[in-house]
Amino acid sequence: MSPTVQPPPADPRTRATSDGTAVTITGWRCTACHYPMTQQVTACMECRGEVEETTFATEGEVWASTCLRVRVPGHQPPFAVAYVVLDGGPRVLVHTGGDQPLAPGTRARVVAVSETGDLVAEPDGPVSAQEVAS
Amino acid sequence: MSAYVYGVGTSHFGRQPGVGGPALAQQAVLEALRDAEVDSVDAVYAGTVFGAPGTAQRALQSVGITGVPVLTFENACATSSTGFHEARHAVLSGRYERVLVLGIETMTAHFNGPITPEETDAEGRAGLALPGVYAMVASRYDHLHGLRPEALAAVAVKNRRHGSLNDRAQHGVEVTAEEVLASRMVADPLTLLQCCDISDAATAAVVGVDRGRTRDVRIAASALRSGGLWDHRSDQPWGYELMGQVAADAWAEAGIGPEDVDLFEVHDAFTIGEITATEALGLAEPGGGQDLVLSGHTTLGGRQPVNPSGGLLSRGHPLGATGLAQVAEGVWHVRGEAGARQVEGARVAAVETMGGGTAGIDGNGCVVVVLGG
Repeated sequence: MSPTVQPPPADPRTRATSDGTAVTITGWRCTACHYPMTQQVTACMECRGEVEETTFATEGEVWASTCLRVRVPGHQPPFAVAYVVLDGGPRVLVHTGGDQPLAPGTRARVVAVSETGDLVAEPDGPVSAQEVAS
Repeated sequence: MSAYVYGVGTSHFGRQPGVGGPALAQQAVLEALRDAEVDSVDAVYAGTVFGAPGTAQRALQSVGITGVPVLTFENACATSSTGFHEARHAVLSGRYERVLVLGIETMTAHFNGPITPEETDAEGRAGLALPGVYAMVASRYDHLHGLRPEALAAVAVKNRRHGSLNDRAQHGVEVTAEEVLASRMVADPLTLLQCCDISDAATAAVVGVDRGRTRDVRIAASALRSGGLWDHRSDQPWGYELMGQVAADAWAEAGIGPEDVDLFEVHDAFTIGEITATEALGLAEPGGGQDLVLSGHTTLGGRQPVNPSGGLLSRGHPLGATGLAQVAEGVWHVRGEAGARQVEGARVAAVETMGGGTAGIDGNGCVVVVLGG
């Protein structure tokens, strides 16, 4: 019952493209209840209504953050990550560069897609000392 | 009508490469059968998270349990708690008179270090390993309530002190708050001594109808849910609302509240998990879990000890076996058989297990069990 070698699974992460200067985050939004979804769906996860492809804002508010300092396959520690609630939804997981997590409650903007395929965000606007989580 | 725990058993907990599931299961099942004073069961509700297909049957034949229905559950960290909950309902419904519940996990066969995030999960693929999940809980908790490092450290100090009294625990060495906070950072703000270890172990319980024996422990309630959508509309840390909903279900069924419970075994996979669990269970107000542990209320000798076994932080975390280990601890205390870590006069114990790992929902599954009373 050992599995044979299989191709890697479909990438379940938020879909985004970058033209080198701007990032476009794509997903689906319900035409009835307007629920935003980053997972590939054929019906709304909330109300099972019809969905249509859409783009989402690249700016939002940091909801929580941390820096992982242990070995994780495909990622070189340390790496900081954050949940960012994009304006109008949804909430996405982003990498934020370096090892200092962004402070919850501050603004961030998705600026790139990393070589590993992850969203990369930066503080939106000048960084003050208070914006970096202690 | 109630279902009862007739007997419990566990293997030793620890990194035991090469021992294998069947050998671990023999230790747990034979102890549980002896404890229950039975030699057969009507069915087996087994659980494993990472085990290969047939793990339960492979282990059960080694203890002579064949020819009965065997079901295998998977519900992340709440796997064997889920099996326990379902076995109880199988007994209550009259389907079976006596069910063996088995949790079995050989994590060193799958991981050299921390659990590898699931590639098919959106956040797992992005590198959010489980320490990161709980670190995000800590970050959000800090944003909502302010999180004091000394409160996190107090959980680790308390549980590792409790674990020093548990000869089955993987890590039974006392530590100081300074050592906890100075240990290597894993995922800010969680340091190494605030994280449970992977473990190989098996756990077992025999659940059955009322047979009129005083030593059997009544299951006063059990509740299980998986989490709702946890998204941009959510204000609370991951798992908090799910734990609260399941606890409310359990308190309603048991007809008691957290103030009536003598001891708790909760899911302290990481220190912050115990703080949020105690609040979700109603032991403290939101934000009050820190003062609860710092006050000594939850230490052995305090008003309501939490994790007298040492918790996952001391015992280790063999995912599919952990829930029944918590149940076993509760049973031992209610019977007065917990030895050096006995909670004096314990009559009611509550168990909470939280399983996670799926992005987008508030938890794969949470189980709360109330024993005794």
